[in-house]
Amino acid sequence: MAKFLNNRRNLVPFIFLLPAVFILVVGLVVPLVNAFRLSFYEWSMGTPLASARYIGLASYERLLGDAGVGESLGVTLRFGFWVILIEMALGITLALLLERQIRGAALFRTIFVLPLMVSPVVVGLIWRYLFDARSGLVNFYLEEIGEAIPFLQQFGFTTQLWLADRNLAFTSIIVTDIWQWTPFVFIIILAGLQAVPREVLESAYIDGANWLQMTWFVKLPMIRSVILITLLLRLVDVFRALEVIYILTFGGPGRSTELLSLHIYKTAFTSQQLGYASAISTLLIGIIFVLSLGILVFNNPLKERADF
Amino acid sequence: MLKKTFLLAIAVLLSLGVVSAQDAPNPWRQFEGTTIVVSWPSLYHFQVAQTLIPEFEELTGITVEVDSVQYESMHDKQVLEMSKPGGGDYDVVSWVIFWKTEYVNKGFLKPMAEFFTNPDLVMPDYDAADLIPAYLESGSVVGGRRAYLPGVTAALYGVPFSGETSVLVYRKDIFDEYDLKVPETYDEMLETAEWITANVPNMYGITSRGAAGHQIVHAWLLHLSPYGGSVLDDNWNPVVNSEAGVAAAEALKRILDASPPGVTSYGIGEASNSFLQGEVAMFLDNDRIINQTRDPNQSRIDGKIGVALHPTAVTCGAETGGFAIGIPTNARNPEAAFMFIQWMTSKETDRKLAKLGGQPGRMSTLLDPEMQAMYPEYPVIAKQLECANVDWRPLIAEWGALNAPILGVQLSEFVTGQKTAQEALDEAARLIREELTRAGYYNWMNLPGMSQ
Repeated sequence: MAKFLNNRRNLVPFIFLLPAVFILVVGLVVPLVNAFRLSFYEWSMGTPLASARYIGLASYERLLGDAGVGESLGVTLRFGFWVILIEMALGITLALLLERQIRGAALFRTIFVLPLMVSPVVVGLIWRYLFDARSGLVNFYLEEIGEAIPFLQQFGFTTQLWLADRNLAFTSIIVTDIWQWTPFVFIIILAGLQAVPREVLESAYIDGANWLQMTWFVKLPMIRSVILITLLLRLVDVFRALEVIYILTFGGPGRSTELLSLHIYKTAFTSQQLGYASAISTLLIGIIFVLSLGILVFNNPLKERADF
Repeated sequence: MLKKTFLLAIAVLLSLGVVSAQDAPNPWRQFEGTTIVVSWPSLYHFQVAQTLIPEFEELTGITVEVDSVQYESMHDKQVLEMSKPGGGDYDVVSWVIFWKTEYVNKGFLKPMAEFFTNPDLVMPDYDAADLIPAYLESGSVVGGRRAYLPGVTAALYGVPFSGETSVLVYRKDIFDEYDLKVPETYDEMLETAEWITANVPNMYGITSRGAAGHQIVHAWLLHLSPYGGSVLDDNWNPVVNSEAGVAAAEALKRILDASPPGVTSYGIGEASNSFLQGEVAMFLDNDRIINQTRDPNQSRIDGKIGVALHPTAVTCGAETGGFAIGIPTNARNPEAAFMFIQWMTSKETDRKLAKLGGQPGRMSTLLDPEMQAMYPEYPVIAKQLECANVDWRPLIAEWGALNAPILGVQLSEFVTGQKTAQEALDEAARLIREELTRAGYYNWMNLPGMSQ
């Protein structure tokens, strides 16, 4: 060990890592530990922290029996399942289609990435107006189509209460999220696809692989780690999504669109129960940790050398 | 003789303005050169008030800086400033009245008696008794009965500024055209609303807030008072699931059913808008809507409305909401802040504010014939305020935890058909009891010898 430390060369990487570690500790570990500590206290904003009442595990006990937390966790998981599934499928498909040298690909790529550049609050507002039951464009076209082809009216081509009906509101937030985040998947997968070495594709082509085989057996396996990283990032993001839902439905009707992050926000700032909100946050971190770990154990892109 | 001449000389000099009151200090100018910071919301009344600030600055020599924030995000900012030891940034704060108990409990606000005991500060014709009593009690009296109501242990921590009550605003033209009677009771109102929705083309009978959370609770509470219910009883027991609570919820459901589609996602903005755009015939919520109908930028119904009393069910009862204004304990310039509050809420300024479209804050403004000629609804509002319920919602510090998270979810589940009114309110009562138990409300009741 001493020998290792005496060799100055061995220390260099650690010295270079130091600033990053410092920032991580100040910006991430300290707040995290503080939040964790707060979850054992009952503290009201504006009173000195020293006057917070220690309540031990009471918040966690309450957490287990809290129907509100359970319900919003369920909403979050269902929401996450659908948006990630659809966004990954759509994003990968689009990337595969636009990866080829076709005319206007650059234009399409730009257009597809646009939603990513819109601020979440604006996304929320845009869709809230689109989904408006009385004056929204979505209903306008539904009605127009329904009137043009009356047959379709029985399949829902009439006025729909997008944000006022439990199931439709849930569909609405999924549609919005897909609109907002598919470009993210698309752009990363596209970058991955473009980094696939030409030689491999050429040799596959010479071996007589058709487009489908090439995609399925060559391209996708080669960007497996990129796909996994994208999946991971989306997973974490889904649990943090807040702004759009805040504007779009604020969790309603009932609790049908109340994601866990919004539930935490409401507990902290509407109910003013910061200790309990910290306890739910701890649960959230735990869930994300377990899910991420699951994906990494299943297939760790960092462990193996890069796929290509 | 000499004395007489002397007096005469003084009188002459005075009338010529040679000997002026220069030596006597002008109380308005005793804080000349001070700068005060005011925290209030970016709502219409306050925007109007802001236009009057230069007048105050000229009168007093005090500079006023306004920190105007959206009112939903004002709370956290104010709490942060007011909890700074050794002086915060704000000298004047305006709070939504359901924050008052929390603020006082945490020691954030100075009792107004500190200023009213100082004759050097108080203008003789301030006449605090003229401030609308219902607003004064609901917005700035804290510490009496049930912690948030007047009573022998209560004190005054501010004065009302931009208070509001509820009245029924209706489309006079539609009511005349179809020869409808302006409803006085809930039954009449519900029947009229349903009739209009069914029979008048392109017109819905009524509109409401209906979105999950704070909005739907507000709508329900509006009806709870007239049905004779309340959220908590005198021993803090939740009574939302009483007969009155269920009746109010069912009335709310009928109102929503007669409202434009999508009403269960409406906040106050959407509800107001549907009325201002001429899509509905009745609006039962706060009286701010009346001034909005006069604004050609947002209203298509200017001059077409009538104003009536909030309908009664088993009793009369309107809301008392809005804002009050006071001085933080850690204000750096509390006296100058008091000058500002006193000037802003004085009789003269109150009338000026009202003329510019602000909310009236004084009975003298409401009863002034000149003002009544300008605003024909003032007599109705003055009459409504006699029967405004200061206790229409419990203004305890925990209200935030009961309001949107519990009642806001349960009521929303009722109106979207997930539960019956009784089921939803039973569940709400259970959750409220849980919440208040945690907060220690029943600890005394559980002692042996104490009965609930």
